[in-house]
Amino acid sequence: MKMLMIAASLAMALGASPTANAQDVKDPLAGDPNAIVEGASQFRTDCALCHGLRARGGSRGPDLTRGIWNHGGSDADLFHTITTGIPGTLMPANDLSDGETWEIIAYLRSLTPSTPQKVPGDPGAGEKLFRGDGNCWLCHMVNGKGGRVGPDLSRVGSRRSPEFLAQKLRDPNKNLAPTLMDPGKEWPYDSEAVTVITRDGKTIRGVLRNEDTFSIQLMDTQEDLHSFMKKDLRDVVHEGKSIMPPFGDVLDDRQLQDVVAYLDSLRGGTAEEKK
Amino acid sequence: MNTRLLLLPLFVAFVWPANPRIARAQVSYDQLVQAGHQPENWLTYSGDYAGHRFSELKQIDVNNVARLAPAWVFQTQVAGKFETTPLAINGVVYFTGPDDHGYAVDARTGRAVWRYERRLPARLPACCGHVNRGFAALNDKLFMATLDAHVVALDMKTGNVVWDVEAADYKVGHTFTLAPLVVKDKVIVGVSGGEYGIRGFIDAYDAETGKRAWRFYTIPGAHEPGNETWAGDSWTRGGAPAWVTGSFDPPLNLIYWGTGNPAPSDDTSERAGDNLYSNSLVALDADTGKLKWHFQFTPADQNDWDATEVPVLLDLKIDGAVRKVLAQANRNGFFYLLDRTNGKFLLAKPYAKITWAKEIGADGRPRLLPVSGTMKDGMVVCPGAAGATNWMSPSFSPQTGLLYVATREQCDLFTAAPQPFHPGHPYIGSVYFKPAEEKPWGAMRALDPLTGKIQWEFKYVSAPWAGALSTAGGVVFSGDMEGYVIAFDAVTGKDLWHFQTGSPIYTSPMSFALDGKQYVVIASGGALFAFALPD
Repeated sequence: MKMLMIAASLAMALGASPTANAQDVKDPLAGDPNAIVEGASQFRTDCALCHGLRARGGSRGPDLTRGIWNHGGSDADLFHTITTGIPGTLMPANDLSDGETWEIIAYLRSLTPSTPQKVPGDPGAGEKLFRGDGNCWLCHMVNGKGGRVGPDLSRVGSRRSPEFLAQKLRDPNKNLAPTLMDPGKEWPYDSEAVTVITRDGKTIRGVLRNEDTFSIQLMDTQEDLHSFMKKDLRDVVHEGKSIMPPFGDVLDDRQLQDVVAYLDSLRGGTAEEKK
Repeated sequence: MNTRLLLLPLFVAFVWPANPRIARAQVSYDQLVQAGHQPENWLTYSGDYAGHRFSELKQIDVNNVARLAPAWVFQTQVAGKFETTPLAINGVVYFTGPDDHGYAVDARTGRAVWRYERRLPARLPACCGHVNRGFAALNDKLFMATLDAHVVALDMKTGNVVWDVEAADYKVGHTFTLAPLVVKDKVIVGVSGGEYGIRGFIDAYDAETGKRAWRFYTIPGAHEPGNETWAGDSWTRGGAPAWVTGSFDPPLNLIYWGTGNPAPSDDTSERAGDNLYSNSLVALDADTGKLKWHFQFTPADQNDWDATEVPVLLDLKIDGAVRKVLAQANRNGFFYLLDRTNGKFLLAKPYAKITWAKEIGADGRPRLLPVSGTMKDGMVVCPGAAGATNWMSPSFSPQTGLLYVATREQCDLFTAAPQPFHPGHPYIGSVYFKPAEEKPWGAMRALDPLTGKIQWEFKYVSAPWAGALSTAGGVVFSGDMEGYVIAFDAVTGKDLWHFQTGSPIYTSPMSFALDGKQYVVIASGGALFAFALPD
């Protein structure tokens, strides 16, 4: 960051065109068809693994096609986000030339609507369901309140598209474990339910927290951690599905929409960060 | 100035008058030829020229391996994938690490006697981490091929640089990650950079001077035979790197080297044709680098199936006669046997899940299966881009006659799109994703090289990146992605011992002996672990 600033002021001092640090800088390649093609190609190699092939969001990065930018939506903001990353998130700094960065921004602009898409549904009603009849909070933490069996959803709105969230609510087993990471890095099992049967016939069901060649660790619905050596178990049953129940039958369409609207509003971070 | 005046007489007095000690040559070429039969030392990447990664040591055996314990651990304190195979020479262990660091440590205690740190350029196009897989040795020198595409000779006693030559321009994507192979008086290296649209090559350097003796381009130039297998000028950026250490047959005087993917690896739209000699095995004259024969495993590849897996040279009795063969468990999922005198195809059998080809025909070419989907919108293919195995070494035990292969059961959702080429920038033609339905897993598999049949397997919960070492104690050593070093019974595949190292393992083990004690050594995380039986 500091280096970039020095480089920028140096470039200005030398009479070069100003780089992206000034807030009013616009993408010099905006709308350029060649830049959009180059940007698409750059995006595939540098960004798609997290943000998805068509920027619709992946297992690690948010959907970038909705015109909703959590860390500022001006050209200069996007340039800054891409080049320096977002501390405290999985978004890394990227070693790209200015031209490559502007190409990516030109590509992203070609995908996004001119006005941000509004998610239908009532987030307030959704939150009531989340904390009430839906019982979502028994397993999911939001801003420090809730359970520990499922993923923390405090910023799920910035990571997942409304379509993904709706699908996940209806059928949690679609896209189970669509992970792109090396095993052992992060959420390799995405809340897979596992039942172990001990040699004396005891059955323990929970969410997989680790499994390796010789041992297995899981958390039961009471949030207790269990660890077993596989040689001491009669059986390990991978249920091949999430421990989360499908909500398609529990909630009606309107209620689902409200919960999605609530989840979409969860963007974590501080007010300062959101500016 | 003053200092120099003062020091000069001292220098003359103590050094100039004949210093009778000439550094003793530590590793001769004859020793390298016999390396497989000198098990106290580990003198070359695969332990011998034939790529067997077999140790004749038998102190650690199937009956006592359960008592194996760490003898020492060396922490490099350098982050990154630690892919080295150390050399062990007369009581010292020499190895490279991430970021092109080099170390010499006392084999008894793991304490460093010297370190080499290379200053690397800030912007270094390297696809897959700042990795290095080890040194090669000859006489009193160690040789290292670096990420900035240099070949370096170090003094074995001090780690001081003896020579340092630039092989190619790193700025356009040439890198080295492999351990060199010393053959006679030459240091053989192959380039990495298949993700950057380089034109691959295998080089030989004079071990004394660093002068380049020959270069073999893995893609034929204009008007050379094979160039017609590339559309237009696509050959100039066609990849075919040679990034894993090859093997050598001294009587035949042939070097066997695997080559990697055509670039861009997933998009074939601008490189119609077989794309020779990508994804091939090339047999080169050791003295001249001239091509003797080639065999291409995956023509017109769109799945990134480099054929760089270590070639294993075997003398097998086939139909009553001993044949000189070359075995390779290929990344495309088939196990191959070739006649290594002429490259003739002998056999290919699947050793992992394969959805792209029905079989390999008698002509050595794959008989393709229809795969649903398109490369534009996505196509699930098994094996995935990382292949059914990869650069981690196989091991052949002459005791069991089995080849041990770390096998990956992992499919990918491939997508491709034309990509503009810019030197020094990734040139891949798209990305791959893990399909949601297929949970990757893996296994250590023991193959009968005569038939390709799987004799046993030991399942891992994920697809491995650790290779194998087999020993005369009847043990196979390897590791998994969950951090375990594991010892198997070479005959049955039963797991006899394991130790949790705390990091996924990205390398293959080796073994040596000192003071009558056998050590098994493997890198994991930032550390080198040496195991031995307790006193």
